[in-house]
Amino acid sequence: MSLKSSLCQTSEWIRFLRRYGPIPRNDNMYDEVIQRALRRNKIQPIAFETEYLNELLDNFRAAEPKSVILTGIAGDGKTYYCRKIWKKLGGNPENWNRNDKVHSLELGNKQLVVIKDLSELNPEEKLTIISHVAAAITGQDPTKVYLIAANDGQLIEAWTEAKENAGVVDVQQVIEDMLVEEMHEKEGFSVKLYNLSRQSAAVIFPRILDAVLKHPGWKGCAHCEQQNLGCPIWENKLRLEGTESEHTTKERLTELLELCELNEMHLPVRQLLLLVANALLGHPDAKDKLLSCQQVPKIVEKGKASIASLYRNIFGENLSERRRESISVFKVLRKFGIGSETSNQIDNILIFGVDDPELQVHYEQLVLCDPYYGADRNYQIQQRAYLEGEYAGNRADFLNALQSQRQRLFFTLPSDQATELKLWSLTIFQYAGEYLSNVYKVLSKEHKVSQSIIFRLVRGLNRIFTGFLVNNQDQLILATSGSYSQAKISRIYEEVISVLKKRGESVSIEMDKNRRKPSLVVRLSREVKPVYFNLTLTRYEYLSRVADGVLPSSFSQECYEDVLAFKSQVLKRLACRKQLEGEDEDSEESMSIRLLDVNNEGIASPRPLEIYI
Amino acid sequence: MTEILPRPQPIEQTTLTMWVDESIWGHRLYDEQTPWLCILEMLCITQSEAYNGQAFVENEYNRLQYSTYPRLYLRNILFNNPQIEAIASEGLDDPERWRMWIEAIASNVGGLSSHNFSYLKTRFASFKDFAEVVKFIQSNAIEGDSNKRWSSRFVFPYGPDCLYEDLRIKGSQITNDRRFFGRTGELLYLMLCRSGRGEAILSHLQRLGIIASEDSSDYKCSKWNKLVVALQPEHDRITTKSSGSPPYLPYVKLSEYERLADDWLKILGCNLPDYDALPHIVTITGLHLIIYILSRAKAVLKELEQPRFILEIVAPRKTIIRDLASDEYQKNNSLPQRAIEHYIRGTIELPEWQVCLESFNPFEDVRDLLQERFAWPAKDEEELDGVGYPEGLLDKLREKAVKRHKQHFAKCHGSWTREIGLSSSRGSRRTRYAPTDTLLRTLVFACVPHRMEFQDFLEKLYQNYGFVIGDKQAEDIISSGDADREDFAANAERLEHRLASIGLLKRLSDACAYVQNPFAVEVS
Repeated sequence: MSLKSSLCQTSEWIRFLRRYGPIPRNDNMYDEVIQRALRRNKIQPIAFETEYLNELLDNFRAAEPKSVILTGIAGDGKTYYCRKIWKKLGGNPENWNRNDKVHSLELGNKQLVVIKDLSELNPEEKLTIISHVAAAITGQDPTKVYLIAANDGQLIEAWTEAKENAGVVDVQQVIEDMLVEEMHEKEGFSVKLYNLSRQSAAVIFPRILDAVLKHPGWKGCAHCEQQNLGCPIWENKLRLEGTESEHTTKERLTELLELCELNEMHLPVRQLLLLVANALLGHPDAKDKLLSCQQVPKIVEKGKASIASLYRNIFGENLSERRRESISVFKVLRKFGIGSETSNQIDNILIFGVDDPELQVHYEQLVLCDPYYGADRNYQIQQRAYLEGEYAGNRADFLNALQSQRQRLFFTLPSDQATELKLWSLTIFQYAGEYLSNVYKVLSKEHKVSQSIIFRLVRGLNRIFTGFLVNNQDQLILATSGSYSQAKISRIYEEVISVLKKRGESVSIEMDKNRRKPSLVVRLSREVKPVYFNLTLTRYEYLSRVADGVLPSSFSQECYEDVLAFKSQVLKRLACRKQLEGEDEDSEESMSIRLLDVNNEGIASPRPLEIYI
Repeated sequence: MTEILPRPQPIEQTTLTMWVDESIWGHRLYDEQTPWLCILEMLCITQSEAYNGQAFVENEYNRLQYSTYPRLYLRNILFNNPQIEAIASEGLDDPERWRMWIEAIASNVGGLSSHNFSYLKTRFASFKDFAEVVKFIQSNAIEGDSNKRWSSRFVFPYGPDCLYEDLRIKGSQITNDRRFFGRTGELLYLMLCRSGRGEAILSHLQRLGIIASEDSSDYKCSKWNKLVVALQPEHDRITTKSSGSPPYLPYVKLSEYERLADDWLKILGCNLPDYDALPHIVTITGLHLIIYILSRAKAVLKELEQPRFILEIVAPRKTIIRDLASDEYQKNNSLPQRAIEHYIRGTIELPEWQVCLESFNPFEDVRDLLQERFAWPAKDEEELDGVGYPEGLLDKLREKAVKRHKQHFAKCHGSWTREIGLSSSRGSRRTRYAPTDTLLRTLVFACVPHRMEFQDFLEKLYQNYGFVIGDKQAEDIISSGDADREDFAANAERLEHRLASIGLLKRLSDACAYVQNPFAVEVS
């Protein structure tokens, strides 16, 4: 009896957790729905520290609070912030639950007006509110302070519609600038703008993970007999948690999210929660593709526990392709191509490791030692059949199993073997590991990026800047075609910029202070403003591959255009420098041009041509 | 009512058999003159006029005459000089190379009755250097991969000394046969004159160093222009010949002229590096010429709305938008022909027509009326046998006018839209409006001074050029049931992706995106 009741208690929690997963639901009232479910089932909320809450509360508690605009995409936590602030400032939770569109509260001698979703207002209400907000922001109405949440599209639209009023135009421009230029405040206006889409997923994800994995709801599992019979939910939980000494999976997942962030792909909190819920509970045969406690015994009995593998679930493999493509977190994570990308070495271990004495050690350590999601019975049977060429019809099954194995390896390959076994060749970004640890993390600690990396990127840039397969890497070559700066082939040598510091010239990789992301910086002289090139993961990979001479055509066009635009900027600054230095034009009788000459070693150098007129 | 200028008297009856297309669009728009060649012809005129202090000033309507530069030494060296590379790579000493080359070119030279190329020896340190310079200038030639005759190939317009006219050269004879400079550049020049923006445009062109108002020995031009100067003997730089009869542009004032000039100024105002603005100027000019053709045709047909283009942003699969874009293309393509037919038929409505019919000798009188209005039929016109009544004469005219129209004018729309990247037949048998990345980039330079919300950008494209891409601009198509809102929304979404992929759009979220002029903002 006691066993049964404890099972039920835990299954309540699992049922609640499923709500965060990829099940069909009404997205607009997300926070409200979750709140109701919590109250009904008396479950403790999943609580974790959010980035701006304290900062926002400090603002409203200050003597001269400023109005706040919260923007972000669906699932960034706009409503959550509004609710929290309301409560912390003494608002009545019951009033909040009444679901009014506009709430207000005394705040010292001012009135705080909270609008938790601007799009809920009808057009007339919106117009009125916007002009009031404009008055508060410009200081015409010092009696009111606003807290407004809206996604950026609605926000801009609302202000554009209200343009009639002169004060509004002013404020609209300010808000647009703050949005596009990623600023919190602008002088002279009593407003702060928080774009919640700028919250770092990499920072917040470990907190979410902890909050879910340490939730008291799991307590019941201790008494559950399924725990020892191979419950996949429990297995997934343990693997995601890791141990004191070994938490590779959690680390790799966080790294992937960090890379997404660095590659300008933002994932809101709601998507991160969805990811955790799906990783733990996903199974293609379950109802809504998410396990509940009741279904576990059957799945285990049928020997289908292995396809509940969290390594697959992280990429939404438990879902139909259509469903998967409609969920941004899976779309983004699948861009890494984990599962379909591989190296000969890894595949050899997975396929031939069982028989090949040279690969045996690796096979045992990477496959056999994991009988649950690794060398489970199914895998071994399929592998044997594949190797012996039996029933060819099921090759596809084995290839699928292979894909799952690669996904598993990506999350479990021990860190000390990551270099030897080329962990990142399991993704399409072969330089991602280097980018993360030798560029991003190095910069985060305020250290310098190794010169060899900069040299390689400069070599890549030079090849694109000139259109020749050059090997120069200690100087950035600026070349044009004489008529068109964006030409594919540039034969006119304009100038070179030293990579190492030299009379104000340099090429370096630095952390952009506002965005906390790496930038490639070209300095032409002390007097001329440097040129910044946002070094995203994709661009880093692109330049590195161009430098190494092997370039898959898939992602080249976009980066190519970006690099050419960057070249134009550098050329523009070069012109500034020339102007400042007052460089002499050629004398009347003769002039010279410099053509780019590339020798057999691929080193480009200028060849001056003298012309007498 | 827009004022229409009288046609020139007399017209060149030798080359013109009638005056129909010309009275609607001017004399003349020519399909084989690509937008690049229009710009070159126009720059030639501008330079010649600027030298006389007259740039973009039209003192008397449709009386434009100017001087042109043949620059035959330069053209022989660049485009009629196949031996140079072989001689440069032969293991000879320098004087020997020069000797061989001068001999070789002498046997091949065209358009010059007497010539002496030895001035080149003193201008370059070696023959190899000379060959390198020639190769470099060739590699930047306009439409360098074309297989046009050598006298119709053009050096990039680095400056005043790079401008010359298209010629027919046979032996030492040169004639202006208007093969590729078919006067479209002259019309373009007149449009800019009449736009009222001439002065501002001139000062931009001077800043770029393409046009100089001073004497050739005085102006400061770019080093690339100097490089081209180095290939010309001193006397050949200033040799000129006079242009022929003046062109004819029918309307004194049109908003089309102003919009064309405004777009020029916007693109020139972006301060792109080097000569980067020029290709965009070429593209936008092509677009405005197409709009001019269509809007004049619509005016004749008394259709009030501005020309419209439904643009498919190329989708991987066939879409309803693709069909609509091809239908619209076909419709626009046939618009000019409909216009001339309507114009000719309109003669019947004239009171003069009635007078002729009621006269003593209706056939002869109608013949005179048509001669006056359409410069047709000529006195010795054949093929009039069997036409014995006035309407028959009119039908004959229509038939002949359509035939003539189809030879060249009717092809302008198709040829220019393809040339500027507005139309394509990719993935389909029918041609449709589908913009290339190059055109999109030009549009951003012309429409977005700094940054602009994506929906506003779509609206601007509609206002300025009649481009229908997104659902808001396609209201009437959607309400007529020809397409769904989602089809156009998806089309706009594809544009958004395209712009982002060429660095012209910054996306803030699913709901909000900005089109950015990359020269007004930092690369990020």
